[in-house]
Amino acid sequence: MFAKIKKNKGLWLVLTPHLLWIGLLFVLPHIKLFWLSFVDKRSGALTLANYAKFFQSELYRHVFVHTALFAILVTLITLAISFPTAFIVTKVLGKKMKAVVLLAIVLPYWISELIQVFAWMVLLRETGVISYMLQALGITSHNIEFLYKDATIVVGLVYTSILFMIIPIINSLDSLDDSLIEASYDLGGDFWSTMREIIIPHAAPGIVVGSVMVFMLNLGNYVTVTLLGGKNSLWFTENIYNQFIVRFNQNQGAAFGVILLTFSVLLVWVVLKVTGQDMTEAM
Amino acid sequence: MTEIDVSVKNLTKRWGNFTAVNNISFDVPKGSFFSVLGPSASGKTTVLRMIAGFETPTSGDIFINGQRINDVPANKRPCNLVFQRLALFPMMNVIDNVTFGLRRRGGMSKAEMEKKANEVLARVDMKGLNERKINQISGGQQQRVALARSLVLEPTVLLLDEPLSALDLKLRQDMKLELKRLQHRMGTTFMYITHDQTIALAMSDTVAVINFGKLEQVAAPEILYREPATHFVASFVGENNRWNNGKVVELVDDNACLVDVSGILSRARMGEKLKPGDVVDLFIRPEMILLKPGKHEKGNIGKIKEINFDGSHSLVVVDLLESKTPLSINVKLQHTEETPDISVGDTVTLSWGGTKQPAANAFLHIDPPTEEKE
Repeated sequence: MFAKIKKNKGLWLVLTPHLLWIGLLFVLPHIKLFWLSFVDKRSGALTLANYAKFFQSELYRHVFVHTALFAILVTLITLAISFPTAFIVTKVLGKKMKAVVLLAIVLPYWISELIQVFAWMVLLRETGVISYMLQALGITSHNIEFLYKDATIVVGLVYTSILFMIIPIINSLDSLDDSLIEASYDLGGDFWSTMREIIIPHAAPGIVVGSVMVFMLNLGNYVTVTLLGGKNSLWFTENIYNQFIVRFNQNQGAAFGVILLTFSVLLVWVVLKVTGQDMTEAM
Repeated sequence: MTEIDVSVKNLTKRWGNFTAVNNISFDVPKGSFFSVLGPSASGKTTVLRMIAGFETPTSGDIFINGQRINDVPANKRPCNLVFQRLALFPMMNVIDNVTFGLRRRGGMSKAEMEKKANEVLARVDMKGLNERKINQISGGQQQRVALARSLVLEPTVLLLDEPLSALDLKLRQDMKLELKRLQHRMGTTFMYITHDQTIALAMSDTVAVINFGKLEQVAAPEILYREPATHFVASFVGENNRWNNGKVVELVDDNACLVDVSGILSRARMGEKLKPGDVVDLFIRPEMILLKPGKHEKGNIGKIKEINFDGSHSLVVVDLLESKTPLSINVKLQHTEETPDISVGDTVTLSWGGTKQPAANAFLHIDPPTEEKE
């Protein structure tokens, strides 16, 4: 049957838009990026100078490590919030409540990330809602600036990431037969041992997929970080943006881009190996 | 007096207006194979889940080993459940599944646990597959692992929720006999929930029949079959000819009466207290009917309408010729050396209702639709 489809010209017709999409918008730009990163800006000769600059500059290295650590932190916090929520949605709530809560989780994502972040800014800025309320309650006597802090970036990133973590986990928990949980209790298991031995191992593919997605999204995030973190955000994407747009140094920007990509692919690969998960299987 | 392992007293479970289990009481003797038999949605699974601790009774008490366990959580009860779909842990291999309960209990070294698990696995004939994942073993093997996983904890009573229903027919019949042998060997009390009466009759020491949340009869399989206590048991357990609108003509003795159905007279056991003139339903076991070719003095003359061959026996449908209204009856004819040669259209003489064993049971008439409401 598959051989038939292979010969079928209709298949190519269906595949063409996808191939064009991947080829033109994914493969080609990355080849170009990779090429640019090894080219000197002025002479056009091949060089490793763009990479050398990254490894020689303490600032760039610092920003890079900072970005990586915070992306990991945000992923962990998102997981810590999403897993219990997903568990309650799938295993505790009734059918009706489940639909309501799911809608409440999905609803904020009907508006763009940009608008979501502006909403946070309205709440958090010096003359914002929270600052005003604290003064109204007499807790403080002056305006407080909540923006432009690492913690604010983390809050914003966690907020914009939750959906991408929670949906894969809900999917995997949905397929967990309730009788497995009952069987664990029947054999003397308690809440924690059931969680550790039955529920988490079953949800592992969902957890891994969600974590990989959230980590990738955050590592490469620009909008949320820049708006909530301002100039002090120390996020690596900002360096890439500056090289491309502010300094017109495409080659340096490309090198930074390749470094970021290599790191994230490497980390994801290591995590998959360590947890024994298979991305294609998990998806 | 025999020791009682599980005792259920006035157990009731309601969800809103719906009564799933209605004031049920029974005792399960130690070391016995006790079945709870009922059609689907009869409340039998709810009874089991209340004993296992997954449902809270609305009222009534459950005792195991004489201890009231209503308030004991499921993971502390001295009983274990073999789930309908087994609920083996797919993320673990066979040996880890079996040692799961021991690990929860603690107080044993890993080697001790595995030794104990291996002993139980050997008893259920599951040697040498310890490292296999659950999806790498067959349905019958999964059954054995599920049994071992519960039995390794040496429960006072093993609860089984129709675990054989997932197997194909041949395997189910093999496992049925094996389960009974296992129960005899281990001496553990088994409480088996099923809608399959052949399983309940073949394996059990005692069967409790439940319908619409009510206990109909608790008895040994032979008693259940020969002397059903209620109209439902008579119609649910075993095959039966059912004739509606019979009339009690006279009482023969304390237990038996003469019933007239459309002019055909039958001697029947009285399933409940009856008096002459009562309108009754008559149940006649097809294998208890005696069939002789030709016309004879004693008995009812009939003409063969159908013969359905079924291996060891044939099901013969006979139209009765002497009834006032058309009446037919199924006769189960065992194939032996003496089985008469018959063919469709032959005239035969049927008789039933001897005094040695009751072939027919009479109960007060109930409109068929109410009991086939399911």
